[in-house]
Order: sequence, then C-alpha cells, then structure tokens
Amino acid sequence: MTDIATTRSATARKFWRYAGTFALTALLCGVLLGGLSAWFLGSVALAGLTAAAYSFNFHVPAAFVRLFAVGRTAARYGERLTGHHAALTDQTTHRVALFEAMAAAPAVRNAGWQLADQARLADYLDDVEDLDFARLRADLPAALLAAGLIGASIATAFIAPIALAPIAALLIVLAAMAQRLGRTGAGHWMQARGLRREGAQRFGAAMASAVPLQAERQWADHCAEALGRFSQADEAERTLRLAQSGLDALATLLGPVAAIGVFAAAWYGGARSEALLIPAFLAFSWIALAEAAQGASRMVVATLCRRAAKAEIDRWTATATQAAAASQSPARLQALQSSALQRRTPDGRPLGSLLALALQAGRPTILTGASGAGKTSLLKQIAGWTGQDVMESETGPLSAADRRAAATFCPHDAAILADTVRANLFAPSRSDEQLWQALEAVELAGRIDGAGGLDGWITQDILSLGEAQRLNLARAWLSTKPLILLDEPTEHLRADQGLRILTRLIDRLRDRIVVMSSHGVSALPGTVTLRL
Amino acid sequence: MEQPALPEHQPERCAEDAFAALDRARELGARGLAHLLGWQLARTALRLTASGFMAWLFGHLIMGQDFVPWLVVAIAVAAAGAALVGLMADRAQALAEAEVSTRLRDAAITKLQTMPARLLQALSAGGVTVGLQRHPEAVASLVIGHRAASRMMAIGPLMAAAVLAIVSWQAALLVLVLTPVMILFFALVGQIIRSRADAQEQAFSHLAGQFADRIRTLPTILANDALAEEEAKLASRLDAYVGKTMSVLRIAFLNAGLIDFFASLSIAMLAVFLGLGHLKLATIPGFSNLELWQSLFILMIAPDYFAPFRRFSEQYHAKAEGLAAAAALDRLLGTDHAPAPRLPAVEWALAELSLPDHGLVVVSGPSGTGKSTLLRRLAGLESGSTPSPSTMPQPCIWIAPDSFVGGSTLAEAITEGLEAPDAIRLHEAAASIGLLDDALLPGGLSARIIDGGTNLSGGQRLRVALARALVSSRAVIADEPTAKLDPATAEAVRRALLDMARNRLVIVASHDPALIALADRGIALSAASCLETAA
Repeated sequence: MTDIATTRSATARKFWRYAGTFALTALLCGVLLGGLSAWFLGSVALAGLTAAAYSFNFHVPAAFVRLFAVGRTAARYGERLTGHHAALTDQTTHRVALFEAMAAAPAVRNAGWQLADQARLADYLDDVEDLDFARLRADLPAALLAAGLIGASIATAFIAPIALAPIAALLIVLAAMAQRLGRTGAGHWMQARGLRREGAQRFGAAMASAVPLQAERQWADHCAEALGRFSQADEAERTLRLAQSGLDALATLLGPVAAIGVFAAAWYGGARSEALLIPAFLAFSWIALAEAAQGASRMVVATLCRRAAKAEIDRWTATATQAAAASQSPARLQALQSSALQRRTPDGRPLGSLLALALQAGRPTILTGASGAGKTSLLKQIAGWTGQDVMESETGPLSAADRRAAATFCPHDAAILADTVRANLFAPSRSDEQLWQALEAVELAGRIDGAGGLDGWITQDILSLGEAQRLNLARAWLSTKPLILLDEPTEHLRADQGLRILTRLIDRLRDRIVVMSSHGVSALPGTVTLRL
Repeated sequence: MEQPALPEHQPERCAEDAFAALDRARELGARGLAHLLGWQLARTALRLTASGFMAWLFGHLIMGQDFVPWLVVAIAVAAAGAALVGLMADRAQALAEAEVSTRLRDAAITKLQTMPARLLQALSAGGVTVGLQRHPEAVASLVIGHRAASRMMAIGPLMAAAVLAIVSWQAALLVLVLTPVMILFFALVGQIIRSRADAQEQAFSHLAGQFADRIRTLPTILANDALAEEEAKLASRLDAYVGKTMSVLRIAFLNAGLIDFFASLSIAMLAVFLGLGHLKLATIPGFSNLELWQSLFILMIAPDYFAPFRRFSEQYHAKAEGLAAAAALDRLLGTDHAPAPRLPAVEWALAELSLPDHGLVVVSGPSGTGKSTLLRRLAGLESGSTPSPSTMPQPCIWIAPDSFVGGSTLAEAITEGLEAPDAIRLHEAAASIGLLDDALLPGGLSARIIDGGTNLSGGQRLRVALARALVSSRAVIADEPTAKLDPATAEAVRRALLDMARNRLVIVASHDPALIALADRGIALSAASCLETAA
C-alpha cells in the first residue's frame, strides 16, 4: 500500500468518525428538542397556574431549546458533509483496488472484453456504486437508529417500564418484517437483475442482426421479446417496492405507539400533572426518534443491493491470478520458437495439429486464414495472454508471464482512453518530437494537431474507427518492447493507406520480432506468411 | 456534369415522429398521479389529526384533567389510518411509476419495431439498451414521484397552516411568513449551486467518468503494459474528483440545511413564545392565554408544515435525471437525425430492374455505391424515391456475417422460425457447407450456441444462415457471402447459392469474381455507368 493510499484510508476513517459523531449529535439534539419543548411547555403551563410563574427559571430551558434547534441543524449539515466525504474517499480506495483486481482477472485477456459493452459496463458501475454507498445508506443510519432505540428503551425502562411491552412488540414485528423483506426482496432483486441482463444480451444480439431479422420479418418479435424483459424486471422491482411499503407503513406507528404507551404507563402508574412531565419528555422524544425509523426499508434494500453487487463483482475477480512476481523480460529478442505449439480456441480447447513456430527479429510473420481460423487466438498465445505455453528464445525459455512483460500487443479493437493524446500513446519516456514522428508515420499528425496537439483531450467517440486504429499503430511504433503483436493492423483503413503505414511500421520495427494477423496484406517484402 | 435529378422525398422526417417522452409520460401518468395525490393528501390529513388528538390528550392529562377514553380511540384510529393510507400512497406510487415506465417502454418498442434498418444501424446498440433499460424508469419517477412531491409542497404546508389556525391563526401566520424568507434563501442557494456546478462541470467533467473509462479500456492498458501508471493516475484523479465534488456538495447541502434550520427555528420560536404566554410574562396575541393542549398542538403540527419542503428537496436529483432521460429517449428514438443518403446508382438500378421468379442475381460494384442499400430496398426494408419494380417474395432469408443465430444448439439455430424440416434435409444442409466438421464448432447438429451466437465467428453465422436458407424454400438475399471464407468453404457457399437459384430467387451482393461469373443476371452498380446511362 502506498503512502497516498495509507493517508487516504486514514482520512476516510477520520471522516467516518466525524460523520458518526455528527449523526449521533443530530439525533440526540432532535430527540431532546422534541422532548424538552414538550416538557418545557408543560412546566410553564403548570407554573402559570400559580404564583410560581414569577420565580420559574424560564431562560435555561428556553436556551436549551434554541441550542438543540441550532445544534440539530448544524450537526445534520456536518453529518451529510462528512458522511459523503468519508464515502467518497472510501470509494476512491475501493475503486483503485477494484481496478487492480479487475486487471488480474483472466476475463480481461480472453476473447471479447465484456465490459467494453456499454450496457454491461453500466450494470457493472451500478454494482460498484451500490457497494460504495452502502455504508452511508445502510450501515450508518441503521447503527444510529439502533443506538437511538437502545437509549430510548433504557430511559423507558426507568420512567415507564410497562410501556416497553407494546414498544418491544412493535419493534419485534418490525425486525421480523425487515428480515422477511431482506429475504424475499433479495429474490425479487436477483430476478430483476437477471431479467435485465438477459434482456440486454438478447437485445444486443438482435440489434447486431437487425437487417437479417427484418428481412425474415422477425425483428419486431425479437425486439419486443428482448425489451419486454426490462419491463418484467421493472415488475419484479415493483414487487420489491410494494413489500417495502408494508414495512414503512408499520414503522410510522412507532412514534404514536411509543408516545401513547409511555403516557398510558405513567398514568396507570398513578402519575398526575407534574409527575407526567418527565413521561411527556420521553413520549415526545420517542416521536422525534421514530422519524429516524422512517427510512427502514431503504436501509434493508441498500443492504440487499450491496450483497447482490458484491456477489457479481466477486465473480469477476474471484478467479484472478496472483500478480506474477516481476518476470524476467529480456530487453532484446532475436528469435522466439516453439517446436510443437498446441493452438487453442478462446475457450481453451485444442485446435488443429501441433504447430512449429519460428519467429525472428527483422522477419515479420503474417498470419493469414479465413475468419474463425484462430489468428487472434494464436497472437494472444504468443503474447502470453492465454495458455501456459513456454517458448524458447536465445536468452532461454520464456513463460507466458515473461512474454507478457516482453510484448506489446495491439488488439484489433484497441480502445481509446478518455485522456490526452500523450497518455494514449503510452510512451512516457519518449520526447514530443518522437511522439509527433510516430503520429506522422501513421498519418494522424494533422488530425491530432487539429484536436489540440499532444495535450488535447480525446475520447473514443471523437475518433473514427480508422483514426483509432492508426493511433493504435502509433503505440506499436513507439513501443520499446522486443516482441510486437499486431491483430489486423490494417482493419478500418483504406487499402493503400494501410499498406503505406504498415510498410513504415515494419521498417521501424526491423530489430524486433513482429507477428501480425491479416486478411488482405500479403504483398509485403521480407515477410513470412503463415497460413492457419 | 449533372447528377440525375432525385426528388427530395424523405418520408421519415415529419413532426409526428418525434417521440416526446416527457409529454407521453405525463399523459400516461395523469391518472396514477391523481390517485397518488389523493392518498398523500389523505395521509397528511390523518397525520395531522393524529398529532392534534395526541396534543389534546397529553395536554389534558398534564393539566390534571380527566382521562378521555374516546381520545385514545381517536388517536389509534387516526394513526392506524395514516399508516394504512400511507401504505396505499406508497403502493400507488410504485404502481403508477411501474405503469408509466412499462407503457413508455412499450411505446419505445413500437417505435423501434417499425424503424427502418438504416436508422437502426446508425444507433449504438449499447446506448439503446442502456436507454430503454433505465430511462423509462427515470422519466416515470419524474412525472409521478417528483411531481407529487412538488404538488404536495404547494398543498401540504397550507393544510398544516389551516390546522394551526384552528387554535391560533397568529401561529399559522408566523410559519407562513417564514416561508417567503425560506424560499428567498432557496433561490439564492440554488443560484450558487448552479453556477458552481456549471463551473465544475466545465473544468472537471473529464474526471467524472475516469473509473468507468479505465475499466472499459482495461485490455488496451494491459496490452501496452501501462497498468501501474494508469492505476496511479486513476487514484490521483479520483482524489481530485472527491475534492471537487465536496466543494459542490458543501453548497448543495445548504438546501437541506436551510429546511432543517427553518423547521428547527420555528419550533424553538414557537416554544419560547408559547412558554412566555403560559407564564403570562408577555402578551403576544395568539400565543397567550392558550391551554397547554393548544400549545402542544402548535408544537406538533408546525414540523408538518416543513416536511413537504424536505421531501421535495430530497427529490432534486430525480428531476435532473428524469429530464436528462426524457431528452435522451427523444434523441434515441427521434428519426430526423439521419437523412437517407442519395445513391443515384441504386435509384437507377431499381428503375431499370425487373426481378425473375428464380435465378441467381448478383449485384456488384465498388464500396459506397449502395449495394447493401439496394438489397434492403429489394427486401422491402426501406422505402425510397423509386418504388421497387417487383419486390421479393416475403419473408426472405438474409445471409450475411451478421445474420441472427438463435436457439441453444446448431439444429435449433438452423430451424428457428421455420417449418420443421425433416432430419435428413437438415443434416444435408448443415453438412453441405461444412458446419458439421468445423473444429471450432464441435458437436455436429447439437453443437452448443451461447447467448445468441456470441461464440460464433462471422463466417460461422453466415453459414448457419445459409443452412437456414437451404432447409426453407424462401427467397434468399446474401450480402458478401464468400468474403472472409477459406477457398473450400467459399466454393461450397457458391455451390449452395447456385443450387437454391434453380427454383427460387437468390440475390447476392458480392465482389467475388467467381460468384459474379455464375450469375444468371448481373447488376453492376457504379457511379460512372449510372451517370452515362442517365445522361
């Protein structure tokens, strides 16, 4: 853990302490404000009947009433502010850790990164947020409510013990209902989540085949069938909300039941007029406290959402491989070979017969073959992204992890980070001049100049597919790694432009081992073609 | 040189095609909103009644007056009634919002169902999915929950003030007078929040989505061995974002703080005034010579005056989200953003063309001349200025690398939506184009198809569609059926297309010279030839 991370978690702990203190203060002030005001009015009303009116110390309780009023306002503001600060700080810690954990998840390196899909990413982010804010939405208010209930119950035990019977009965029913809501609610929530995921997946598949489906006159059905699941999910969520409303309705009874209970207990205990002032204090305190119980169902739901979110996120990171110890990666490589490489499909099944692979620096290898022949899979295997193959080099055997460290892999669907052009080139050690050279080489200098230069902010949306591909090739151009793997480097480029850029790139990388997959390019001098 | 004259005819562009999500949702939600408001008003009335009776009971008891049994009954009835009616209100809200959300989505689905393919292809699938999943719900909670809260903010406080006036119109006046002051503060704070948030938005909007962006681009980051740098950068950017967010929240929470302040202040002021009145230390009209129950009554009702304001302020994000969602739905489903491209070659070809009832028709020509558009027009998926002379028999089978693959096995994928063919025919069809001995699709006809064919390549999808065509007797349209296939498979595909063309119409768009050579009729689309002929 770095120093910054340590400071960050210390800050978060500090803010949680503040938030807890403020929240408790706010609750206490609110409860006391309610109780004291009632007690005060009762006292003065009784004093007003007699000559005691003139000796009644009016100022002290009045000052306390004002103090509690101002205190409640200030403490609530402090609670909101510090609570959010604590939750947001936790969020940073949590998200940085999650980013690291996700990077270690094997799914990242397998075929098709699912979170590149907007719908999947949006669901994932919802889960992350449910986790981030559960403490603020559920834990803090629940702890506070529990503390308040315990405090008020103790006071009741001293002042009007019989009143504890109805209060306890109601609290037990509420607790049972909350538990039941937690259980059945989790079911509805899982159902809603499942339906949403299924709907998104089906609609995505239908959208990708919109024209063929329309030609078969099946589009309307598929569209309605897939999107209908979203409405079914809304129905499941509605069922959850209906279940919530029962708990909330019963919770509104806590104030009246406790107040009447306390008063009645005191009355039947023989308390009259002045002796009823303390019970009045307690009764009105209960009414103020009961306000805090109004959000009970939301706390339950926040808890069950957190559980579902955690299970989902753990699914990604559970299979994470331990970050490999710093692997030995050679700075230069002349040759890389495998006498009998078993090619594998993306899901790990063996594919074809054993392949003798001999890669050499300065002799780029072009993988060709029909769609689905396994070109990308082989590139990933060479890059060490999938499989556990060991390959031979002049410096000794290189494991998959070694090759990962020694390779720059340019996937055909390489993404553009929302960041500066400079950051997107992933070459912090290169000078500006070198970066511009790279952009010139991929015929992107003019476009980048127009978009604000190296420090201009770019996103995926503002670049066309061809521009993104060329930026991706600039990354390869700038790479210092000895092993460069290019997946469909000329995809989305005009044939002549693709050939020009690729020729320059291969010339630039003549001292590295270069492997690329391609449909079209075969007329490159000095290359070896491997047909799969 | 003259372009062939084409009438400007764009049937998609008319006003009634605007989706108008917000107006639609308002209309859909009108009844539900009325119900909800009814229940909420009843709840407020019953709450006020219960509070009033409780004040009455406690005041009487403390002042040594007799116990009034019916008061307890009245409190119990009112409190239970308020809980029950509150339950109904919550249910009404949940039902109304779900109803609006579902019906709004249904309207969106209808819109998508009839949207021409050209417009569908211009949409981002992820964007539509996210939009139709979440936006209807956000719009529903704007037109139901938020609207109800804003209506209640107008009515609720007046109800509380009216009840206060029963015992002291001066106390009612006091809280009423506080309101404009509170609203003035609201307006001021709101102004500051907006200007701060705008400044924030401009300066730091790029920080907001950094986590999402880095998760999305994770494979690229790993591919460039930049994990450590990106992690450090992400941490510092998230830290910066927290700082900026907090500076906005400091102001934003003032809103809620103001309501708390006025609610607390009113209780404190009322308690002190009422106390002075009871002690007869001061004679304030409306606060002196009151019974204790009346003072308690004022004290208990006053917070209810402010409660609707708080509930409304808790809804502020619902408004922003709902409006944004409605605008996003309009943008997604509005069809006026992608005018049809003018493709003279297509119009000319359609004007000249008459389709045979069987045979292989091959459309060729360089990219961009409109081969795909011509196929869509022939399939009747799009309309244009030149009516199609003889449309294809409907429905047809569309063979392309993006063909739909349904079902959970290869056999189901081939037969889905078709009359069940006999087993031999199915087996022959799949075998003839190499689907049964594909190393990447093991298991023959029972090979597993995952989630709409995510485990299939474009070439495999295309061959599944071709097998569908073989087992059915429908007309066939194929878009580049032999590109990206290995030579042996490409030959099998050509054979299959030729075979089908013997007894039905097969229209193919292709660059493949071998396929063009097999055509019974060729349509060569090219900008140049089109102009020559038109001249």
